[in-house]
Formats: sequence, C-alpha cells, structure tokens
Amino acid sequence: MTAIEKRMLTNKIVMILSTLSAFIGIAFLLWILSILIINGVSAINWEIFAFEGAPPGYEESGLKHALIGQLIIISTATAIGVPLGILGGTYLSEYGQQSKLANIIRDISDIMMSAPSIVIGSFVYAVVVIPMGHFSGWAGVIALTIIMIPIILRTTDDMLQLVPSTLREAAFALGAPKYKVIINIVYRGAKVGILTGILLGIARVAGETAPLLFTSFNDNFLSTDLNEPMASLTVTMYNYATSPYEDWQSIGWAAAFILSMFILGLNIIGRLLIMTRKGK
Amino acid sequence: MSNIIDKVFEHSTRIIAFSVLLIVAWIFTVLFQNSLDSMQAFGFDFITDTKWAPNLEKFGALPAIMGSVISTFLAMVLAVPVAIGVAIFLSEIAPEKLKSPIGVSIELLAAIPSVIYGMWGLFYFVPIIRDIFGGLGIGMLTAGIVLAIMILPFMAAVTRDAMDTTPDILKESAYALGGTKWDVIKDIIIPYAKAGIIGSMILALGRAIGETMAVTFVMGNVHKISLDITAPATSIPVTLANEFTEADTELYFSSLFELSFILLLISFTIISIAKFYFLRKTRRA
Amino acid sequence: MATIVNIPHEKALEVKDFQFTYNGAAEPSLKEISMPIAKNSITALIGPSGCGKTTLLRSFNRMHDLYPGNRYEGLIEFKGRNILEPKEDLIQLRTCIGMIFQKPTAFPMSIYDNVAYGLRLQGIKNRSELNDRVEKALQDAAIWKEVSSRLKHDANGLSGGQQQRLCIARAIAVEPEVLLFDEPTSALDPISTQGIEKLVIELKEKVSIIIVTHNMQQAARVSDYTGFMYLGELVELGITEELFVTPKERLTEEYITGKFG
Repeated sequence: MTAIEKRMLTNKIVMILSTLSAFIGIAFLLWILSILIINGVSAINWEIFAFEGAPPGYEESGLKHALIGQLIIISTATAIGVPLGILGGTYLSEYGQQSKLANIIRDISDIMMSAPSIVIGSFVYAVVVIPMGHFSGWAGVIALTIIMIPIILRTTDDMLQLVPSTLREAAFALGAPKYKVIINIVYRGAKVGILTGILLGIARVAGETAPLLFTSFNDNFLSTDLNEPMASLTVTMYNYATSPYEDWQSIGWAAAFILSMFILGLNIIGRLLIMTRKGK
Repeated sequence: MSNIIDKVFEHSTRIIAFSVLLIVAWIFTVLFQNSLDSMQAFGFDFITDTKWAPNLEKFGALPAIMGSVISTFLAMVLAVPVAIGVAIFLSEIAPEKLKSPIGVSIELLAAIPSVIYGMWGLFYFVPIIRDIFGGLGIGMLTAGIVLAIMILPFMAAVTRDAMDTTPDILKESAYALGGTKWDVIKDIIIPYAKAGIIGSMILALGRAIGETMAVTFVMGNVHKISLDITAPATSIPVTLANEFTEADTELYFSSLFELSFILLLISFTIISIAKFYFLRKTRRA
Repeated sequence: MATIVNIPHEKALEVKDFQFTYNGAAEPSLKEISMPIAKNSITALIGPSGCGKTTLLRSFNRMHDLYPGNRYEGLIEFKGRNILEPKEDLIQLRTCIGMIFQKPTAFPMSIYDNVAYGLRLQGIKNRSELNDRVEKALQDAAIWKEVSSRLKHDANGLSGGQQQRLCIARAIAVEPEVLLFDEPTSALDPISTQGIEKLVIELKEKVSIIIVTHNMQQAARVSDYTGFMYLGELVELGITEELFVTPKERLTEEYITGKFG
C-alpha cells in the first residue's frame, strides 16, 4: 500500500469511528429523552396539578405541593441572586476591569460554577439549618442563590464588556456621571445578553437536587412558609422514584417530564434571544 | 449629589463582587471547622480506613473516596473517546446544515438535570446490567456508565468548542497540501487545540467527581471496596446524599463534613488545574 | 517653537505650555503646546498618524480622565479658568464642551430619547420644553425632516450618516460653547461626508469648533484656522488659506505636498 493509500484508509477508519461514536452518543441520549417523554406524558393528568403529596396507594396524590414549592424556592433565589449577580458583574466590567482583584473574582466564580453542589448544601446545612434547628425553604433558597450568583455575575461581566467603549465615552462627553452611564447606556446596550444569562442561570438552578436534600429537605404537603421545610420538584422526584411504589414512581416521571420541559424551554428561549440579537 | 450616588454605586458593586471571594472562603472555613471533631478522632486514618460503621462510631472514608475515584475513572474511560468522536464529527464531518441542530441538541442535552439521568439509569439501565452480570444491577459499573453518559454532552460540547478555535486558514493550508481530514485533525487541530481539549477533559472530570444525583440512584451506598465492579459501592457525594439526614451523633456529622471538605478540595484542585494550566485562552468553565 | 498666526478673533480657549503624558509612558505625548482657539470659528488639527491631534482634542473635555494614570501639565484656559485643575467639575465642563466621535455612537434608545439624553441629565423634565429643544436640535443638525415622523423609533435603524447627524443633534441640544469633532466623517461615505461638512460650517455661528481630521482637503474646505502637528508638537497654526498656500514652516510644506504621510 502506498503512503497515500495508507493515509486515506486511516482517514476512512477514523471518520467511520467518529460518526459511529456520534451516533452512539446520540442514541443513548435519544433513549433517555424518549423514556422521559413516554413515562412522563402518560403519568400527567389533572390530578398531578390538583393534589398535594399523599402516602403511596392513595388516589388523591399529586405534585401541587412540589410544583408550588419549587416555584417559590426558585423565584426567591432568583429575586436575590439576579440583582446581586448583575451588580457584581457590573463591578468586574465597569470598575475592576482587568485589575488583579477583578481577575481573581472572575477565576473563583468560574471554579464555583463547576464545583459540587452537594458541598454547598452541606455548607448551608452548617450555617443555616443547624442554627435554625430545622430544615427550611430559606436554607434551600440560600443554597441555590450561592450557586446562581457566580453564573449571573460572569455572564453579566461578559455581556457588559461587549458594549463598545465609544458608547460610554459619548455619554461621558455629554456630562453624565458614571452610574448613569452604566444604568442608562451600558445596561441597555447589554439588555438581551443579560436576560439570556438570567434565563440560563435559572435553568441551571431549577434542576438542582443535591443542594436541597438537606436544606429545604421536603414536605408532602402544600406549604408556602419558607421558614419550614419545603417541597421541591427535584427532591420529590428523587424520593418518589427511589421508592418501591409504582404510583409514586409514576408521579416521579411526571415530575421529571415537567421539570425537563421547563428547563429546556428556558434554554430554547435563551438561545432564540441570542439569535435575534446576532441578527441585528 | 451625583458624586455621592456615584460613590455609593461603585462601592456597592465592589462589595458584592468581593463577597463572592468571602463566601468561598467561608465555605472552606465552615467545612473545615465542622470536620475538626472527625479529624481529631481519626487523624490520617480517616482516609485509609475501610470501615465505615456509624453505630460503632468508626468512620473510615476510603471506600467512599475510592468509589469516587473509580467511578469517575470509569466514566472518563468510557466518555472521553466517544466525546472526542462526537466533537470530531461536529467539528469536521457533519455537513454545515446539520452542525447547528446537532450541536444545539447536544448542548440542550447537557442542560437536562442529572437527577433524570439517575432515574433513567435506575429504571432502564440497572435491569440490563442485572441481566448481563447478575446480582443487583446496582453498583460501581452501572454508576460509571450512567456518569459517563451524563458528562458526555458537556464534554463533547467543550471539546468541539476547543477544536473550533483552530483558524480556518491553518486547516486550509493543510488541505491545500493534500491532507485528508484525519491528517488535518491529527496534525493541525489537535496540536493547536491541545490545551483546550485536555483542559475540557479535566474540567469534565472535575464536574464528574462531584456529581451526586446521576449516581445516587444506581450506586447502592455500600461502604465496601470490592474487586467486583458490578457490586454495590459508594462515593463521597452518594454518602453525603444518603446519610446527611440520617446522622445522629456529632462524630457522624463531623465525618460527613470531613468527607464534604475532602470533596471540595479535590474538585477545586482539579478544576483549578484545568483552568490555569490548560484553559488560559478560553474562559468557559 | 511653533509659528502661530495672530488671531484677530475673540478666543474660546487658550492652550498654554500644555504637556500630556499617557499612563506609564516614559515620554510625554504632547510637548509644550501653546495655541489659541478662535471663537465661533472652525479650527482644524491636521498631521500624520500619531502626531497627537486626537490626544490634544480629548484633553479639551478631559476624556483622558476616564482612564487612570494620565498626566496633564500646563494650562488650558476656558471662561477665565484653567480646566486642567483637579477641582474642575468635569460634568459641568462637558456640558459646555461637547464631543462627536469617529464612529456614530447612537445610544440604544429611541431617536427622541437620544437627543433628550443630555437635557434630561441636566434635570430638564418639562415635556414641552424637551419637545421644543429636541426639535430645534434636530433641525440645527439638518435631520429633522428625515426623522420627525419616527422620533420614537430605535436610533439604530438610521443609516451611518444619519446616526452621526443624530449624535451632533444630541451634542448641540445642550447648547455647548465648544464642539470637538474627532474625525467625524472617517467612517462615512462621500455623500454623507458632504452633508456633515456643510452642517459643521453652519454650526460655527453658534459654537466654536475644533475638528481633527486626517483628510487635508477636508480641513481646507471646512476650517478657518488650521494647526499642523507633528510628533506631539504644534508646528504651525495659521489661517487656513494661508497655511495651505504659503506655509511658514518647511515641515508643514512637506506634509501638505505629500512628502510624508
């Protein structure tokens, strides 16, 4: 075989292997998606939304408590995490810029974004649950907020840096003080990017289970009191799916389906926003 | 007036940004403090003892640590080749029209919460392992495979990103000399993107080792090191997830905190290595 | 020492022994510049790349202060005071000395809001006063007819030339005394350039103008006085026709006749 023929053969082999692995990867993922949809859709009925949790075997059993609990926890974490993240990102982009402190904050935030979320759960257990004496929705909120802030902070930092400096200079040239330049001009210019960052941050945090396991813990009943343990979709999924009861498992799949659709929805909206921005 | 508002605004943003560092330092401190009881009771043996017996108040973390290491190693062995294959496919093979939809699908799959991978593993993969190997079907092997599938989308996406940074003109120069696709990948793309590719792998490793929900469903939480990789085992996150709510003594809690602290140190180190040695150019972590 | 023609005009600004050093630089970028800026006239600054003309322009409204570490020495006199003093109120200064940039910098808001921005900064809230001043500014910038029916539309929908005129309207809405133009037409096509040049000439009745340009013909068309700079120094300042026809310095002559770029 000539050298060229050998190279072409190697090339063919590698191409086939790569395409094969792509298909293997995609096949597994399609498998997971399909069972999610099949099991999820078949388990969804009006009862899921009408009833709170109940012991296995009960007819009137649903996810209302978990859905509302999840909503409360996520929206509270968002309400705290987003403003803090945006302001922190503002510091990095507009004041700290490339200073040593700013870069250290960026690096640590990046690392935090990949750090194990269960460790954060244990931290919150120590500083919130133990002093309070019991699990609570607030503990769950704090855990999720800690996870969310670095994400929002970094995307805000990136998006603000994309705003051209001449835009800022033009506002300064009109005699605007710095905070107005930031709020009126820079935020507006980065509006879409920041919003996308927020959506993706929410999507990421909505899927977390581990940090809630021993902070907000769980509750089978509907409660809106953040001072008490609170149900969440993710922990409920975990409990129900690992139980030996079929009806609970079925409800678990319904929860999985609802959660995935919510998260995928946020991701897709985020991507659409990016695309419309690029199209301008 | 605006001067005051300016100063207040600037200082608020600075304080908030700085508090990120404070929180991280606080996390390390709290975990360390809460591990002290266990550290004083067991010393270095904590990491080497294999006996984890809550009712005897003896806590040896080796099974959990080994479990984390082995399951992650297994996951990497399975996921890395496939991820590279997918990345090559996305970056060089797929026709332009398919690149975007498939690429986006992979990224969306990376967004699926890990708890769902765990559920799938429990209901659909465990029976298969049971059929092939016998036993419970729950154990290190199953956990390794589920973990591999879970980090696959992330790994493939970041590896593809790393490969995409190769400038087109570099690739074109190689093609112009008569190179095949594999030549270009082997001689141009991989050397150019080497740092990014390795860094992405290590980053995925850092994430995998801290992964809880994908493996909690299928590992079993048995504190035993066994030569049989299909036997039930445990890892640090699995132990924490299962036992934090069951712990009843100070020492038990302290041992769990020490496990958590060890996990934090390990993953922080791995992710930092990925970030500072390999991913200097990109900033996506 | 620069050759400076006598300016019969009243002066809007006077630069005396001005020196400017960028942060961390070993040498000053502007060396001992002294020149008058005539009132209600157009003074052009020309010279090869890197001669310091934009650096000088950005000193007049202290734009350099946005980036830490830069150093001013000497005097720039404006309305009886030295505006290089640290205690100078920069926000006030910039409402009297406005700037137009090389690339159009329309803010991400409606056309109306763009022009009203400077006015709102000054605290003007009265709707009808804003309306009047926005309309006047847009008229003075020769763009009122084109945008009067779409004031609420996003400013980014305008063409490059229109955006630049919008930026001019925005700057003159606050009725500054001096306007600084930093190569305002370098990013525009020839027809838009013509429109801007015509506008600049009209504006000098109300405002004193300093324009930096790398295009000598533009300087010759538009300005009353021209200053030629080289390597951070002012070589010659003269009445435009005289400078271009009979320059007093050999360096000026060489630049004008294209002996160097």
